[in-house]
Amino acid sequence: MTSLLAILKESWLSLRAERLFRVVMGLNILVIVAYASMGFTDTGFTLFYGLFEEESEYINTHSPLAKTLYLGIYSAFIVNIWLAWAASILALISTSSIFPKFLSEGSVELVLSRPIRRTTVFAIKYVSGLIFVMLQVTVFTVGAFFAAGWRIDVWDPAIFLAIPLLTLFYSYLFCVNVFVGVLTRSTLVALLATLLFWFGTFGIRTADDQIQRFWLMSETTADESTQRLFELTAEIEQASLEDQTKVVRELRAERRETETDLANADEAIERLNPWKSAIGFLRMGLPETARTLGLLHRELERGSNNTLMDLMSGRAFEEDSDYPQNEFQKRRMDAEEKSYERELSIPGWKIIGKSLIFEFVILACAIWIFRRRDY
Amino acid sequence: MAAVIDIQDVSKSFRRKVHALRGVSMQVDQGQIFCLLGPNGAGKSTLVKILMTVIRPSVLSGSMLGKPIGHKPTLRRIGYLPEHHRFPSFMTAGQALHYYGGLTGMRRPARRRRVEEMLELVGMTSWRNHKVGTFSKGMQQRIGLAQALLHDPELLLLDEPTDGVDPVGRREIRDLLLQLRNEGRTILINSHILAELESICDQLAVLVKGRVAMEGTVDALTEGGVNWSVSYRDASLEWGDSKIEQLEDRIVVTLPGDSLHQVQSTIDRIRDAGGSILAVSQNRESLEDLFMRALKQAGTEDAASPGAVRGRKK
Repeated sequence: MTSLLAILKESWLSLRAERLFRVVMGLNILVIVAYASMGFTDTGFTLFYGLFEEESEYINTHSPLAKTLYLGIYSAFIVNIWLAWAASILALISTSSIFPKFLSEGSVELVLSRPIRRTTVFAIKYVSGLIFVMLQVTVFTVGAFFAAGWRIDVWDPAIFLAIPLLTLFYSYLFCVNVFVGVLTRSTLVALLATLLFWFGTFGIRTADDQIQRFWLMSETTADESTQRLFELTAEIEQASLEDQTKVVRELRAERRETETDLANADEAIERLNPWKSAIGFLRMGLPETARTLGLLHRELERGSNNTLMDLMSGRAFEEDSDYPQNEFQKRRMDAEEKSYERELSIPGWKIIGKSLIFEFVILACAIWIFRRRDY
Repeated sequence: MAAVIDIQDVSKSFRRKVHALRGVSMQVDQGQIFCLLGPNGAGKSTLVKILMTVIRPSVLSGSMLGKPIGHKPTLRRIGYLPEHHRFPSFMTAGQALHYYGGLTGMRRPARRRRVEEMLELVGMTSWRNHKVGTFSKGMQQRIGLAQALLHDPELLLLDEPTDGVDPVGRREIRDLLLQLRNEGRTILINSHILAELESICDQLAVLVKGRVAMEGTVDALTEGGVNWSVSYRDASLEWGDSKIEQLEDRIVVTLPGDSLHQVQSTIDRIRDAGGSILAVSQNRESLEDLFMRALKQAGTEDAASPGAVRGRKK
């Protein structure tokens, strides 16, 4: 136990000595101060602690949309963009050197020659890297909790879910960072490999989401076209019996158009199928970075009539209720909704479990190398 | 005398290409200062790292402090100073010692007391709260020794302990090692600086290309290397096979062996020829001579060249 505490303390001192740790902490506080600067009044909302005031009949103290907007900004923008991208890159830069520095000649011998198992040393070092992110997120989340309480009178403990979820998200990247760091003992290579992996994962996820969306759009078109073809056949038969030549001609023209739509949709589905399988297969083996963070979004939107998506698409507002305006927009919206519903239907344990399996496999490889290597 | 380290047939190959150790066997007795000598790449540091579980051996049998090599809890009884050690630069001297004490499993109260004692022992008390990263090589070496001694070990493994230390510091370290030996501790030292080891070494082994080329007590090994030299002037004599050195103001004749009778007759001969005796001294073979002899005995052409054996195992 004394040994473990010693390693943890060394890691803490090491983090504290990193200038970037203090810089990221300062930036986190700045972002929270900016977040708390948005407020709501009886007639609208204010920015920068009342410096700018905007009137709005939808977003004000009395509107439930204010809560959706404020928590949505937290989960979708601040967590997803600031914490998950900018702060994570800074954290990676800070923590990438943990293992390469530890494994450098003259340093590692002083630790491995002690009565501690190598696996234990590895585990504590790994956890200490995650503590970096956990501390940052904790400070940030406490700030966000009080900001939400002050601004929209919502004291939602779900905000604190950001701590485990962001730490998990970071651990998916950090395990790759540690694996490459142990393998190459180079901070730069470990950092570049992690960024490459991260962007690769992001690319595959985005490609999969887009293919799914197009596939769903095509499937919706195919379903609707098939349905419409049945209806048109019946209508043509009926019109022929009643000898309505003009109507029959118009219906036949529509049937030709629908048949073309169906053929196009089938062709698109056929073309997308191999890509959908290949990208889906690739994604299966990768950690679910975005979906893990999406769990926070899901929790914060639970029980709300409107989602941030409704706000952004304008569906939450009366005057935009006639959106979408054309067939294509309608199909795209349907596909997005289906895709969103599909996302919501994936249970949290499955998202986290699958990602943790990836992390354990990578860590097992890193531990194997670490344990067997001569220093 | 009980063997604190008793190893047989230790071998280590890196990627089956570089053979750093090729069947090393040796015993280190309790309460002795054992010096491990050898040219660069002879396998000295590899051997010490194997004992400290930092490197995994290819073949190994033996024990250390009565336990099999690799037995982790036994490491608590051993102090180790690696070569080119590097302490966390963000820590102060005090923090670094607390850290390494903690890693060895020392509890805080004991650690607090020992850290102060060790800082005083290595003359670094006034640097307690300074960052290790700002220390000179010699100061870091002192902290290195302090961390090795912190948990009061029975056995010390020191890899180049005086590396970078100034002459005063070297003298202090030598005195400290002798003091530790007198307390009954066993010390194994790896060093290139043979002159430093000369006065403190009890036992030694010379490693050449991963093999023990010579092993034993210093007295036994240098027994055959004793000779006498007589310096004189004002006489012209023939000395046959004896080694003669003609200096500017004197002649030095070296007499092989430890025969006092031979010395007396030599003195008489010089006096009879009208010469004046300037000095008579007994010489023992130096560690450097011994080392060079071991390299010659190793028998391989490249014994003195640096680096381990590469390619197929010989």
